[in-house]
Amino acid sequence: MEAGISAAAAYPGTPSTEILEALAEVAEEYGVYVEWSTNEKVALEVGIGVSMMGLRALVAMKHVGLNVASDPLMSLGYTGVVGGLVVVSADDPNAHSSQNEQDNRYYGLHSYIPVFEPSGVQEAKDMTRELFQLSEEHRTAVILRTTTRLSHSRGEVMFGAVERVHREPVFHRDPERWALLPPYSLRKHREVLERIRTLEEKLGEWPFNRFVEGDGDTLIVSAGFAHAYVREALDWLKVNPPLLKLASTYPLPRALAKRALEFRKIVVVEELEPFVEDQLRAFAQREGSSAEIHGKDLFPRVGELNTALVASGLSKALGVSFDPPRGNAAGVELPPRPPTLCPGCGHRSTYYAVKLAAARARVKPVWANDIGCYTLGFFPPFRMADFTWSMGSALGIGMGIARFSKDPVVAFIGDSTFYHAGIPGLINAVYNQYPIVVVVMDNGVTAMTGHQPHPGSGYGPTGEKRPAIPVENLARACGVEFVEVVPAYEVARLRDAVERAIKYAREKNAPAVVVARQFCALEELRMKRMRGEAVVPYVIDQAKCVKCGICVDQFSCPAIVRENGSIKILTELCAGCGVCASICPAKAIGPLSG
Amino acid sequence: MSAVIRSVVISGVGGQGLLTMGELLGEALIERGFKVSVGEIHGLSQRGGSVVVFVKYGDVQPSPIVVEGEANALVGLELIETARRVQLLAPTGIVLANNYLLPPPASQKIPGREELIEAIRRAARNVILINAVELARKAGSPVAVNMVMLGALAASGAVDLGLADLKGVVEKKFTGRTGEVNARALILGFEEAQKQLREKA
Repeated sequence: MEAGISAAAAYPGTPSTEILEALAEVAEEYGVYVEWSTNEKVALEVGIGVSMMGLRALVAMKHVGLNVASDPLMSLGYTGVVGGLVVVSADDPNAHSSQNEQDNRYYGLHSYIPVFEPSGVQEAKDMTRELFQLSEEHRTAVILRTTTRLSHSRGEVMFGAVERVHREPVFHRDPERWALLPPYSLRKHREVLERIRTLEEKLGEWPFNRFVEGDGDTLIVSAGFAHAYVREALDWLKVNPPLLKLASTYPLPRALAKRALEFRKIVVVEELEPFVEDQLRAFAQREGSSAEIHGKDLFPRVGELNTALVASGLSKALGVSFDPPRGNAAGVELPPRPPTLCPGCGHRSTYYAVKLAAARARVKPVWANDIGCYTLGFFPPFRMADFTWSMGSALGIGMGIARFSKDPVVAFIGDSTFYHAGIPGLINAVYNQYPIVVVVMDNGVTAMTGHQPHPGSGYGPTGEKRPAIPVENLARACGVEFVEVVPAYEVARLRDAVERAIKYAREKNAPAVVVARQFCALEELRMKRMRGEAVVPYVIDQAKCVKCGICVDQFSCPAIVRENGSIKILTELCAGCGVCASICPAKAIGPLSG
Repeated sequence: MSAVIRSVVISGVGGQGLLTMGELLGEALIERGFKVSVGEIHGLSQRGGSVVVFVKYGDVQPSPIVVEGEANALVGLELIETARRVQLLAPTGIVLANNYLLPPPASQKIPGREELIEAIRRAARNVILINAVELARKAGSPVAVNMVMLGALAASGAVDLGLADLKGVVEKKFTGRTGEVNARALILGFEEAQKQLREKA
């Protein structure tokens, strides 16, 4: 906001989601356009278009989202920008909520887009503002790389003035620059090399990079957020070595790198890969320096850093003793507690119904699964995720399996994931005649990241009305002939629809789509609370209960528990969906009356 | 010169209001003039997973992660989750544990309540058990368990905050009935912990 952006676009993904959510809160007041894009590629492309209009844009995504956006990103390196463009890549060391812990700083190196890493919340804000300036000055997009520890931390931030930019939007027509055709590409490659060389020089003066004098001939180099741990670790160790705090990690500021080589020993502290370390090694070799360079020999390459890990590595490098703090473990075996599908979640009844359908059809499907809340179908009692890969892969990989599998392939994909990356797969399934059953788990929002709207929701990030594009319309438009929409709570209907779909796919050698629809239970509860509506919980009539265990073991709602030999419903957790009542063979469950 | 950094670990189950506790503690500490980092470890937005929140503060900006043996206080909203994080506590630290057991759904082997309390007491010298669900109900809502535990933390003296500091930020964040219930829960938690600490002394 302080940089006067005109637009922000993103696709939700932990730990990046809050960026656009926060901007959406003030978007109307400050006249900033915000959107949840269909996917990260589209979000980045929207940002590029805004930049071509001479305006400033921010684009945010999680690290694996940048894989999806990598195609336009590579070309963006060549073309550069007009209006400032900041691409936030929210990396996730430790893979807290991701399929991997890839280090996206390499995207900068790969695409010739400079990379910046803040060391704390205040700096994240200040640096972002300055990056828009730098982006325009050097006509380049920039990557702002954060990590989970920064993205999910709170602290005091002093705000500056919010700039209201009154720039006239003008399309910067320049086909020779924007149309990436063969005759121009080599010239652009030369230009971008020159731009990176200029930045190597300029960034030596950039105020967020800092040299701090200290004692001894060992220099500690901290990259981005690692600085927070370095500062604390040096305090623990009671030492004061010279320090180079790097906020721009690609390209390496030449003057600072040169100054670093004056030290006998250099210790680089950075999270994940030896990104700065390897650049420094290459630089030292070119300069003919004999400085001793350490990094990943002292600090782990896997997982997150913390103060104890950094202090341990630094103590070895500096030759001082370190006694890590120790605590006592509880010494009892504790059950793990992974997240679960919420009480009232339509995904649970869908999994339950699909399992019944497979049993009725006497098949053992390969369960193709995708990315979203429903990935939790991996866990018992469902065990209905034989693989999960990347957005939309349930269809793509599922097809490769379906071509040769005797068993049917049933692919689960969420609504938001379907819009994001499922549609090309579905078209492929029709065109190349794959007998795959696709169950779209439609809960109306991008639920896992906190209920952001998507193209099926009918509203936008600030709650404004937008057209809704129903999944079933898209499936039919893709050429799928078997499309059925069933409320996810209606287990018997859903079971029958999926059984028909399995039969159809096998007989017609074509894809079948079943949309299992139920609005997200968490969001439903929140809205009921806002409307002042009561939730009527269900209870078990102990006289009728035959203790078959279907509700507690096979349906496995967190609100249903065993206690002292009987089964009961925790009324404070019950969402009142009533699915357990519909599957109870003894008809022992009903709404609480009175 | 060595900076004094103090830290609190809050552990529990997603949906128990841990993030709100971290936010309120952070705000109250900032108002007292400290540099604060609140680190949240949560993956997905669904309820029911194991969640931990770190609150670190001092005269210089701390990092947001609390490591083994570092925390001055552990506030546990559920017994299994309290036991899971007790190793983060410094030997001199205090545990404030909600006497509440919520077994993860579909888990096979679950330690009993007494076994867990004993294990926590073996690992930490100073343990205060609070029947926070009961006190929260008394305050007006079973959801206010988090506020009861915040009040208990203020009474423990493990953080540089008094009851008035927390009441201030709670009243700023919540209005109407929720605000009243939360303020009452805060006081009930404070009084209960204070009573137990006096009996111990």
